[in-house]
Amino acid sequence: MIAVELAKMFRRPRTWVTIALLNALPVLVAALLALTDLAPRPGEGPPFLSAVLTNGTLYPLAALAIVLPLFLPIAVALIAGDAVAGEAQAGTLRYLLVRPAGRTRLLVAKLISVVAFVLVTVLVVAAVGYLVGQVFFDVQPISGARATGGTALSGTSLTPAQITGRTVLAIGYVTASMLGVAAFALFFSTLTDSPLAAMLGALAVLIASSLLFTLDAASSIAPYLPTRYWLAFVDFFRDPILWRDVVRGLGLQAVYVAVLLGAAWANFTTKDVTS
Amino acid sequence: MTAAVIATQGLVKRFGHLRAVDGIDLDVRAGDVYGFLGANGSGKTTTVRMLLGLVLPTSGEISLLGERMPKAARKVLPRVGALIESPAAYGHLSGRANLTLLDAAGPGGSRRTRRARVGEVLEQVGLAGVGRRPVKAYSLGMRQRLGLAGALLRRPELLVLDDPTNGLDPQGIHEVRDLLLELHRGGTTVFLSSHLLAEVEQLCSRVGVLDRGRLVLQDDLATLTAPTGATVVETPDPLRVRAALDGRVLSLDATRAVVRGADPAEVNAALVAAGVPVTGLALQRPTLEEVVLAAAGGSADRVDGTEGRARR
Amino acid sequence: MAARGQRSGAARRWLVVALGVAVLLALPALIGALPASDAGTSATDLRDRALASADVPFSGYAQAAGGLALPVGDQLTPVADLLSDRTTMRAWYRAADDWRVDVVSATGETGVHRDAGGTWTWEYEEHVASRAAALPLALPTAPDLLPSALGRRLLSEAADEELSRFGADRVAGRDALGLRITPADDAASVSRVDVWVDADSGIPLRVQISGGETGGSEPAVDTSFLSLDLTTPAASVTAFTPPPGADVRRDEQQADLLATGRRADAVRLPDSLAGLDGRTLDGTPGAVGVYGRGVTLLAVSVLPGRAASALRDTLLVAPGAVVDDVGVRIAAGPLGLMLVDGGERRGSWLLAGTVDLDALAAAAAQLPPRRGDR
Repeated sequence: MIAVELAKMFRRPRTWVTIALLNALPVLVAALLALTDLAPRPGEGPPFLSAVLTNGTLYPLAALAIVLPLFLPIAVALIAGDAVAGEAQAGTLRYLLVRPAGRTRLLVAKLISVVAFVLVTVLVVAAVGYLVGQVFFDVQPISGARATGGTALSGTSLTPAQITGRTVLAIGYVTASMLGVAAFALFFSTLTDSPLAAMLGALAVLIASSLLFTLDAASSIAPYLPTRYWLAFVDFFRDPILWRDVVRGLGLQAVYVAVLLGAAWANFTTKDVTS
Repeated sequence: MTAAVIATQGLVKRFGHLRAVDGIDLDVRAGDVYGFLGANGSGKTTTVRMLLGLVLPTSGEISLLGERMPKAARKVLPRVGALIESPAAYGHLSGRANLTLLDAAGPGGSRRTRRARVGEVLEQVGLAGVGRRPVKAYSLGMRQRLGLAGALLRRPELLVLDDPTNGLDPQGIHEVRDLLLELHRGGTTVFLSSHLLAEVEQLCSRVGVLDRGRLVLQDDLATLTAPTGATVVETPDPLRVRAALDGRVLSLDATRAVVRGADPAEVNAALVAAGVPVTGLALQRPTLEEVVLAAAGGSADRVDGTEGRARR
Repeated sequence: MAARGQRSGAARRWLVVALGVAVLLALPALIGALPASDAGTSATDLRDRALASADVPFSGYAQAAGGLALPVGDQLTPVADLLSDRTTMRAWYRAADDWRVDVVSATGETGVHRDAGGTWTWEYEEHVASRAAALPLALPTAPDLLPSALGRRLLSEAADEELSRFGADRVAGRDALGLRITPADDAASVSRVDVWVDADSGIPLRVQISGGETGGSEPAVDTSFLSLDLTTPAASVTAFTPPPGADVRRDEQQADLLATGRRADAVRLPDSLAGLDGRTLDGTPGAVGVYGRGVTLLAVSVLPGRAASALRDTLLVAPGAVVDDVGVRIAAGPLGLMLVDGGERRGSWLLAGTVDLDALAAAAAQLPPRRGDR
């Protein structure tokens, strides 16, 4: 079942078009940065972007920071929103269910394929970011006698191995951060037969969350907003690593996934499939 | 008495205040080709979806191949092939890939025999030659065949088909009909939901008629269209029939008279004796259409309008 | 019945989900409602314990929120930001002259590393490391807002009769005993300072400063540890070596400010202003005077003409500014700010402190004539 869902997703041209489009922005930003040599002013622009001019090794992170606020969630909402509603709209859902693919199994398989999509997407963005960083920017030697790795946010030097390890952690964290969006879109996807509605619903939640996060009046609910800890992947590059927000971010995403998946399950397994 | 393949008791489905299906007792037996007739919006599709566990009944019981539905769906449905409303497939994949994925998506289909089975059903429905063309380039008829192939993948004991000849050209309709009859000879029970009387009349051995959520008729086709005990006389001069057989004439029109009497020979003899010219003689049999219209009309005592009931 | 089973199945499933959500929602509230135990420590004992905690090593995560909108010129922008924004800090404390405080922002951080000789300040986004000597008087920076530092500073000069106890609470998951300072000075604009002191170690865990006309119920400054760990941080964490490629500078800004005052050191400041006694701080230039005690402090400084006119323009358009023939003064929460424009004869003075506007006016009237810049 899971293999079937993965095959369906990754054999679909749209999946790869989405991933390709997602990579267009970081590449464009890198090209512009390299051409103009104009780094964003401190405190503005995505994290790490000003640092890549001196060290291209950090570009995978800058690329992730560029797509994280909007592009990545849109892509995730698109794929996750399509998961059930897309099958319903195409009419294939009824054939899957009559096959019979159990409804709970189908839901879990859909979630896993969405997670796989997020992981692949984030990895591709990071890989493209790495290549782009090597091509466009000065790169500090990553191995050999003069290997310096890079500088942590705290001003300490990180070895290349540390940089690599922390980048892997950050990639994992960004993937986990997207699970909340995926769960929202998947839940909405079981409510409606329109994949577009499911995607827009999830995006509406995100936009509301981002808006409330900037609002002082909403500070009491801020810790529960799904986007609250998204930028915590930056914390892996502090020294010592600041785990607080990372742990909270993971916990929060886990709660959202559990609740929304529970709601999706309760709704989908007792729903009349009339599409 | 053969075993019931589909049996429902008091099956009801309410959507809000609307009773889309209102207490249906279906009885489909092994070896039947069951024609499930009803106008669009009569609750046919909702019933089919309930049988297959897609729509959950408000009340009532469903037994499919002897198992309780939808509880035993995982056990029963692999033995059932279905074509519900229109066929559906992933447009970017080939027909073969679609069938392979569908087969892999559920239990009851061995991985080892998958390739062979997919090839076989494609052959069966006449799609073996289309190759790697994606489904989005298929015509409606080809999609219909692909849907049928999907239903046949696991050699089902029961085929549930909703308008299987929709979109097919006459040649295709003929092929599908032959295919169904061949499957039926092989022991498959066929449940055919349709609004096409002719199709049901040609294929089916048993008929159920649904009208506004109620099963108004369920019987063997042979019984329904059994001779009525009257004889139809064709004559250029019907008025003379009345004169000759006064009291036995049931109805008259310009060229025909319907006369009570189950023996055409006897009617003929009487008419010839009276000097009435007879150009044709036949036992009167009701057409399925007449039976359905009579049954459906008889239950038109409902208060709620039909507009709101138009569920596909 | 199969059908009824299905329907109640739906209800049951939703019930399971609803229960799960309810438990998750209730969890933070339940943890927050954990009762804090209140040891019967007296106010003065608690103060002494807090002051003695200066040699307790810890590491922690703190957040400070300032509600003070300071209308000041460019030179003081960092201070104004500090008092009006939310500042998130990580702190590692080994000893009074061996600690590190990082101000964490979403995209970077600014770390202050203290060692015996002074401080290193590392600004990630500029890639700048600046070295500054330890000064007796300096503009407030983020490390000063750390609850432990702020709490100890405010408690250090509190008189016994100004102290009182008020219950206990849980701060950073620890039992914290409430200690309140109610300033006795007439000039005080701070109505009260609440300090929550860790029952275990004596470290102030949370400090709230309230007061000022616009104070309302919101404290003007609220700084609190969100987590605290009493294990000694490694020396390597607080130490700092400028990373390769960093722009290393000497921080002259603070020294500049002092030098500004030194140039006008011919001025002799009165021994007391507005009823507040003057205090002597080593290394303070003559033209900078600090008056008062505890949480009621007033700083007086000569301003060069150009800086004065720039500040005056800013203050004049600030909401709530009081303008009279002595000068212009404003209050931001408990913080009062006054620019005395004495003309040619008396020069310009800046008065700033936690005193009310009346006290500012009274102090301005007592300022001596200035003989002018050299």
